[in-house]
Amino acid sequence: MGPTRVGRTLGALAGLCVAVGLYLGLVAAPPDATQGEVQRIMYLHVPSILTAYAAFTATFVASALYLWRRDARADAVAVSSAEVGVVFTGIALATGSIWGKSTWGVWWTWDARLTLTAILFTIYVGYLMLRAFAEEPQAAARYGAVLAILGFFDIPLNHLAVQWWRTLHQPSSLIRPGGPSIDPALLVPLLVNLAGLLLLCGYYVVERTRLEQMRQRAMALRLMRGRRG
Amino acid sequence: MGSWGFIGLAYGVAAAALVGYLFSLRGRLRDAGAALSALEGEGGRKKS
Repeated sequence: MGPTRVGRTLGALAGLCVAVGLYLGLVAAPPDATQGEVQRIMYLHVPSILTAYAAFTATFVASALYLWRRDARADAVAVSSAEVGVVFTGIALATGSIWGKSTWGVWWTWDARLTLTAILFTIYVGYLMLRAFAEEPQAAARYGAVLAILGFFDIPLNHLAVQWWRTLHQPSSLIRPGGPSIDPALLVPLLVNLAGLLLLCGYYVVERTRLEQMRQRAMALRLMRGRRG
Repeated sequence: MGSWGFIGLAYGVAAAALVGYLFSLRGRLRDAGAALSALEGEGGRKKS
């Protein structure tokens, strides 16, 4: 069974957008006045974490919907978007660490923003482990939904961390009151890369949800056979 | 490591994660599809 039409369209658009974004970020954009060339990591790092936030927002909404309606489709979207969110958070942590080493001289520091991002990653890895290893799938879906909803509140905290505490991490320059503070020459490549990763995230979530629904159907068939003996 | 070394490392790690996830997802989809077809085939044979 191949990808659905929605999946194929999202995949094609994502591929195109990521290719244009890579060209803009690595070739067309000028180097930063203070950081020089290494600032090009921003075109990957910032869109990765914003995409992870979008994926976890989908997990939050789908989990709330599951607790309210007990709809298996909502649970499939929740577990799928959480897995994809973990992939993008991992990329944001890795690229942030590489960028940190090149500008701060260290791979890691227990700064508020970095620590809250690591906590976010751990919460949703824990969620995926709960979903993978629990013996009773419906109880796992219920407890998982509660964990996903509670874990989501790390995101606004993480976003505001750079305003509330003195941190090594720079303040938000994209999502901030008064609009982005970045020069258009850097802002356009950043937005194109963000669009590319959001489309890629959408493609992954659609395909991963299809996988989850196949698993749900297989489990229902096995249960039916078991009851019939 | 120079600036472009760090840039290459960051983009390389991200590409490996994204492509690796894509391949893992496709493999799991293939396996789940085969398992589901087998289960549905089994059910069809039992009914007939």
